[in-house]
Amino acid sequence: MKKEKRLHSPMERREFLRTCGSLIAGGSLVGLGGVLGSKASAVEGEMMWQIDPERCLQCGRCETECVMRVSAVKCFHANQVCGYCDLCGGYYREGVKELNTAAENMMCPTGAIKRRFIEEPYFEYTIDEALCTGCGKCVKGCSSFGNGSLFLQIQQELCLQCNECAIAKVCVSGAIQRVPVGTAYKLKDHA
Amino acid sequence: MKKGIYRNIALVTTAFAIAVITMMGVSWWQMRKATPLKTEVMETLRQLSDTNADNETLAEQVRELDLLSRKAYFTQESQLKKGGWILCAMAAVIAFSLRMYYKDTKQLPDKDLDPIDEWLTKSRARRYLGWGAGAIVAIGLIVVLANGVKEKRLADDNRLTDLQTNRLTDDSSESEPTTELSSDSLEGDRSTDQQAGRLADQQKSDSLEEKSDSLKVLAPPPLPKLTWNGFRGTGGTGRSAARGLPTSWNLGSGKNILWQTPVPRHGYNSPVIHGRNIFITGADSEKRELYCFDLLTGELLWTAAATGIAGSPAQMPDVSADTGLAASTVATNGKQVCAIFATGDILCTDMEGKRLWAKNLGVPDNHYGFASSPLMYGGTLIIQYDNNDASRLIALSASSGRELWSKSRKDKIAWSSPILAKVGGQQAVIVMGNPAISAYKVSNGEELWRVECLSGEVGASPCTADGIIYAASEYATCVAIRAADGETLWEASDCLPECSSPVATKDKLYVATSYGAVCAYDASTGEVVKQHELTTPFYSSPVIADGKVWLISNSGKCYIFSAGKEFRLITSFDTGEQTFATPAFTDSMMVVRSDKSLYAIKKK
Amino acid sequence: MPEHSFAATILPAVARFPKPDFTSGYQYPTIVHSVPWETFWSWVDIGLLVVMMSLVAWAVHRRRSRGVVVGVSIVSVLYFGFFRTGCVCSIGSIQNVVLALSDSGYKLPLTVLLIFLLPLVFALFFGRVFCAGVCPMGALQELVNVRGWRLSRAVSWALGIIPWVYLAFAILYAATRSQFIICRFDPFVGIFRMGGDMGMIVFGVLLLILSVFVGRPFCRFLCPYGVLLGVVSRVARRKVEVTDSKCINCRLCHHACPVDAIREPYEAKASDGRGTGALTTALYLLLLPLLTVGGGLMLQSQSDTLSLAHRDVWLYAQLTADEQPDVLTAEVEAFHEMGRSMDELEASVREVKKSYRLWSALAGGLIGFVLGCKLIRLSLKRTRKTYEVEPSACVACGKCFNYCPLKKSTISNT
Repeated sequence: MKKEKRLHSPMERREFLRTCGSLIAGGSLVGLGGVLGSKASAVEGEMMWQIDPERCLQCGRCETECVMRVSAVKCFHANQVCGYCDLCGGYYREGVKELNTAAENMMCPTGAIKRRFIEEPYFEYTIDEALCTGCGKCVKGCSSFGNGSLFLQIQQELCLQCNECAIAKVCVSGAIQRVPVGTAYKLKDHA
Repeated sequence: MKKGIYRNIALVTTAFAIAVITMMGVSWWQMRKATPLKTEVMETLRQLSDTNADNETLAEQVRELDLLSRKAYFTQESQLKKGGWILCAMAAVIAFSLRMYYKDTKQLPDKDLDPIDEWLTKSRARRYLGWGAGAIVAIGLIVVLANGVKEKRLADDNRLTDLQTNRLTDDSSESEPTTELSSDSLEGDRSTDQQAGRLADQQKSDSLEEKSDSLKVLAPPPLPKLTWNGFRGTGGTGRSAARGLPTSWNLGSGKNILWQTPVPRHGYNSPVIHGRNIFITGADSEKRELYCFDLLTGELLWTAAATGIAGSPAQMPDVSADTGLAASTVATNGKQVCAIFATGDILCTDMEGKRLWAKNLGVPDNHYGFASSPLMYGGTLIIQYDNNDASRLIALSASSGRELWSKSRKDKIAWSSPILAKVGGQQAVIVMGNPAISAYKVSNGEELWRVECLSGEVGASPCTADGIIYAASEYATCVAIRAADGETLWEASDCLPECSSPVATKDKLYVATSYGAVCAYDASTGEVVKQHELTTPFYSSPVIADGKVWLISNSGKCYIFSAGKEFRLITSFDTGEQTFATPAFTDSMMVVRSDKSLYAIKKK
Repeated sequence: MPEHSFAATILPAVARFPKPDFTSGYQYPTIVHSVPWETFWSWVDIGLLVVMMSLVAWAVHRRRSRGVVVGVSIVSVLYFGFFRTGCVCSIGSIQNVVLALSDSGYKLPLTVLLIFLLPLVFALFFGRVFCAGVCPMGALQELVNVRGWRLSRAVSWALGIIPWVYLAFAILYAATRSQFIICRFDPFVGIFRMGGDMGMIVFGVLLLILSVFVGRPFCRFLCPYGVLLGVVSRVARRKVEVTDSKCINCRLCHHACPVDAIREPYEAKASDGRGTGALTTALYLLLLPLLTVGGGLMLQSQSDTLSLAHRDVWLYAQLTADEQPDVLTAEVEAFHEMGRSMDELEASVREVKKSYRLWSALAGGLIGFVLGCKLIRLSLKRTRKTYEVEPSACVACGKCFNYCPLKKSTISNT
């Protein structure tokens, strides 16, 4: 019970410093949490990556830059906007001579666009997602000679939602943005 | 015993894993970043099958190769995926067996342990830290210094080249005008220009480089020798021999702007340059006027009004706002300058603004507004007068206004302007109409040939290069016709202009469209070799000068492309004002008429 | 000038071809929207994080069992690693938090903030329990580490500054919205999601092979979050100890620690030159502000070059380069095609460069400060009577427990 006049034994000094340190550390963590937590919203919650089809320039990087072997970017078809034409700018390659399904006449390298005759002179075009690589060739063809109803969009079921999208990093037009999950899917619609 | 089993499992699995990794690695290396149908073989085969459309076997080969490459692509994908998972499983097995093998092995210290000298360790660590940090800083310094030296050297080189280019552009005696005209009436003007230019040159070459600045002030500015006598240049070629033009300017900041001045009345016509004069017109319901501005100062020298003309309508004809009453560009030959308005009035003055003659050709029935620009060849003024009521090609004397000849045409209304070209040794004028492109002899208006290939609203004008006439119109076609006999060489429909007229060299044809596509066709085959999607409309026409293609969009953004083998976009920048008229070019200067003003560009 | 009569301003979205007039009663197919991972999963992540860290804390401080740590490691590798593909991880969350601090417009999800804070909070109380088996990268290295090759302690102490440099640059590039370099240079995420930059995957595999022999190379020499945990652990309420009894200096645990966190008894003798030690410490104390400011200024002087990592700055440099390349890069072509104005780009570049001037000074200052602190710490003498664990280095793996003969529990695990 002897009162130590010299409180400054190394152990006690260390203990004191450690307690101070814990308080400072704890305080900063609480402070940081408070400052950011008040701004962070649990409602906003998750974020997801999304392509803006109006800005997309079909540079082809969506196919090659995704971290997954097969890109999470797929071509989508807004049938409402489609003209249902026989000579489809996205189905047939540029300067096609014969309108048949010969390989050299197809725009799509993997044959992912399927077409079905509806009635004269309309054809319905659909994308087989399993075959689509997200190269954007059909999108380019459709937007330069067509209504622009084909567009590239991130297939959210496939996307890994990386903290930094590898495609977004190199997207030439900055078309890929990170948006809250609730945001409407950017699709093309008839004006 | 048990340990042995684990060790063996680990070793065998490792061996297998290495094998799988190697296989996958090789396969990945072969197909890395390769996408189906992109291989060179495929492309060449495609091209071959394009040119030999009837060759079935070739087409079959292409299809087979395509199928194989697609199969390969998808199999390889699934292989890599499976391989990845197999490797993971193997890694887990290896890890597990290794753990089992090394279970309970402890890293025990030796019996005799040296006492730890922590101070020594700490000192050593401090030393490593210090040296390491120092080394990184030193390397950083070296890199920064090296970059600094390189940049300084680059800057010095640039300064030298700038000085050299300045001397070249001042030596105007070196530049040759490449006009196709060889009319007598022009000789006189050119020789005076040359004399003045030579005087200025002598004064320049006498001065030393260091004193060049002060002497430049003393010497009178050299008169530019290059003329721009009508719509899209002398003869309507769309090309200029101008050099030393700045590749960037802005009205807002005044960068490279020599002067800027407002135009008294609005008009969509393009500026015309001859000597030190710039001619443009402006019109509204109140007045129709021809203006002359000074090329070097922008001062309005004189105004000539189209008033008191017999036959001139009291009520202005209905024209659309996009056309206006002054859509036609003036034409000059250095002696006379003639302007035509949508009222059918023609006004002709001399270089000082004194009216020589004026007449009315009959108020045109033109639902947009008469827009064809007249063409001057020597003393002959040629006007394409294609309207709803009648279509004619008219030739008047520039000095007196007397009609030299007039040819009635069966073509419908058009807004195109004629150009000059040599047809079988004779000087002819090429006229684009609906539905035909025709060639008429300038001396008497005799029709030399006629090619029916157009339709719809013909707003663009033809161009010529190396004996070939090129004509293109939206929703119709793009055609190349041999000037000598009118034979069609090729037709294409890829990239068609609405108002902007194309321009050509012997290798390429450049077209700007109203939907923003700017394309380069191969002049001999008609294939679009490169297309730029700029998504902004172009009404003014592209011009070739100084090895570049110059084009200003309606919004006022100037695009400069390379006019060589590669049609690449060199730069683009905002000029500051909307522009619908085609710029005029002369020695190291450009004159642009924007929607609001007239301004001159020169490197500062 | 003829007026355009048709819909001539043809932009890609406007229909060139009219909407078809179906007479056969054709119905447009319904568009199926796909949804990403539901928010629910992020909260499962948080929950599991808390549960697993608590489990490890209990196992390491109370139960003194390594088995739990190994079990948690396996679960972490399978769930956080392969199932959730290792993203968003606590290490990467540093960037999101920094971005939220520097850019008030950035929306930081609450779950990401928690992923950042929770391991730090646990570290404040229990030490680096996150590193033990909860972090999927640490767990991966933990599971394959079977040998215990030792590195020279001086070298590994000196190398300990690398994670700080990494952290400083990660903060710089995240705060200026240029790049998430932690995500880009993550060696193990490529393995977890079976795809990505091949270079990083190869590096990850090599690192994994290395961690068979050397303990936790990523955690010790690269992890930028580990150094934050280390700082907090130093003032933790409870420290990990080799044994909960009083150490008898039997020396059996001398080489037990895979990350070399066990400190031997040491007598700081006066004859060692305690005076010189004090002098050195004083010198480094004086040097500290100099290093901090110097570091900040040095890095700031290079802020313009560093800013080239931002895509707008790089694009601007391309557009204004003296020599234009023969083939334009896709970005430059896109710039022209999109009709972006130079003025807008210039304004953006000015903003970015300003931001870089601030953050490069901070990053440089951080590096200088840490260097100074390390030098100070390495000039202090500590007397130890028994074997102690260095809390900032200890990853709470529990390997040392089995070495101690005084271990209360008799369960032995690898």
